[in-house]
Amino acid sequence: MQIFLPIADVPVDLFVLLILGAAVGFLSGVFGIGGGFLMTPLLILLGIPAAVAVATEANQIAASSFSGVLAHLKRRAVDFKMGNILVIGGLLGSAVGVEVFRIIKSFGQIELFVSLCYILFLGSIGTLMFLESLSTIQRSRKSVNTIKHKKKHNWIHGLPFKTKFKSSNLYISAIPPVVIGFIIGILASIMGVGGGFILIPAMIYVLGMPTKVVIGTSLYQIMFITAFTTFMHATQNKTVDLLLALILIVGGVLGAQLGARVTVKLKAEEIRILLAIIVLLVCLKLALGLMMTPNDLFSITYGSGS
Amino acid sequence: MKALFFAIIILFSASPFSSSSVISDIDKSDIELSTRFDGTSLLVFGALTLENDSTSLLVEVVGPSTSIYIRKKVQVWGIWVNRKVAQFQDIPSFYQISISNPEHPVLMKIKNQKLKSLFYDFLETNSTPVDGNGVEQYYDELTRLKKKLGKLSTFEEQVDIIDKKLFSYKVNLPKKIHPGIYKIKMTLIDQQGIELSKSEQSVKVSKVGVQEFLSYNSKKNPVFYGLFSVIIALILGFSAAQLFRWLYR
Repeated sequence: MQIFLPIADVPVDLFVLLILGAAVGFLSGVFGIGGGFLMTPLLILLGIPAAVAVATEANQIAASSFSGVLAHLKRRAVDFKMGNILVIGGLLGSAVGVEVFRIIKSFGQIELFVSLCYILFLGSIGTLMFLESLSTIQRSRKSVNTIKHKKKHNWIHGLPFKTKFKSSNLYISAIPPVVIGFIIGILASIMGVGGGFILIPAMIYVLGMPTKVVIGTSLYQIMFITAFTTFMHATQNKTVDLLLALILIVGGVLGAQLGARVTVKLKAEEIRILLAIIVLLVCLKLALGLMMTPNDLFSITYGSGS
Repeated sequence: MKALFFAIIILFSASPFSSSSVISDIDKSDIELSTRFDGTSLLVFGALTLENDSTSLLVEVVGPSTSIYIRKKVQVWGIWVNRKVAQFQDIPSFYQISISNPEHPVLMKIKNQKLKSLFYDFLETNSTPVDGNGVEQYYDELTRLKKKLGKLSTFEEQVDIIDKKLFSYKVNLPKKIHPGIYKIKMTLIDQQGIELSKSEQSVKVSKVGVQEFLSYNSKKNPVFYGLFSVIIALILGFSAAQLFRWLYR
């Protein structure tokens, strides 16, 4: 069934969107990832303008992360103080990111910019995941256990503005969380991702937070940042397609619930290799799109005023 | 003296006393663009009196004006980048011209005059004169792209005339059209292309329902729209959490 998206200004098939939402939601349920980094490029490949894909995906993530944070609140697995400091950095990052986005858009280069960001980003994440899973598989075959993580006294502890984080049982400077939050805000606003894949490792390895509060706290920050990013894109760029967001939210919720409850008969490393391959394929498709001679060298965009 | 003579002829021939005349009507006066809109067609019909066999009926459909950018991609370090841009101002978003007699002697002249007057109003924003023929090229590309999108047609559709008394004409509108007033102009012309009689109809194309609500507020009330989008997302997120907690109790 064809529907016409009011802001994206393109006709799309409703079922294709629902299935896409459910498929990415399913993957995020299985892998425990947010899915924004897959959904945004897939929307672009589907013909949705990049600016609309990014802003709308931020809106979808606001819904899914809110849903997630509620579950973690019940388990008291959110460090609010840390979350709030991350949010402060994130709001700044998002405001800067949306402004950069607006400027690049006014030059007519936003499709290219978002594609390049994704190629760089999916290419490196995919490659890293692929290599890491391969080496884990090889290591487990040799059955040598080398996993070792110890809290170290690193450079983080030399920074000023130290404060106590009760839930995380930490006494560190507020600067690193603000900087990390800022980076996540930039990523959310120019790529339409939650940024969990960077935020979570940063919380564990850079800040040294205990794993039991990491997911809840990251969802807490992501919810605020994506909600704010949605609002900023709506006011600065007018690119949030609420109808598209609604369809993706419905598809995504169903898919994620299925994915979280399905028992996958694959080993964790094999699942990760699969995900790495999906990520690299999307990256390749975007790269080919930029490198191959376009069917039409000329394109029309409608200006303001009508 | 000669000029005066022609002026009198033109004045006379275009007057209501001329023996050529056309009256028309249309099958709908409103088109609603809902989220389900998938293109539509209009039927214009009417009666005419032809002075002689060389009189032809010209039908034009003119959509609301927009301003558009034509961008050209160039290859930079192996990737294709939008580089050059030309802006066209106040050009019809949709234009169709058809004639009852495809063998009319001054067809090409009419076509070129109409297109130049409607589409040739443009500014080159940053086109560097490397390829020399910038201006003409953008105009050619504009008309080519418009034709490809189904928004420009020149003498491709048929005007049916029955018994030299009645006419009918079907307009196919693509699924992606601009809201606004679409004018349909019927003109009787003689062998030289001189206008003999005219009739005009119009159709109002407007967005409705969700389509109207979202696209209007997104543009006119962005603060409200932004907050609304966030609140809807949060409500849905909350409902999903509640629903699944209840389902898997």
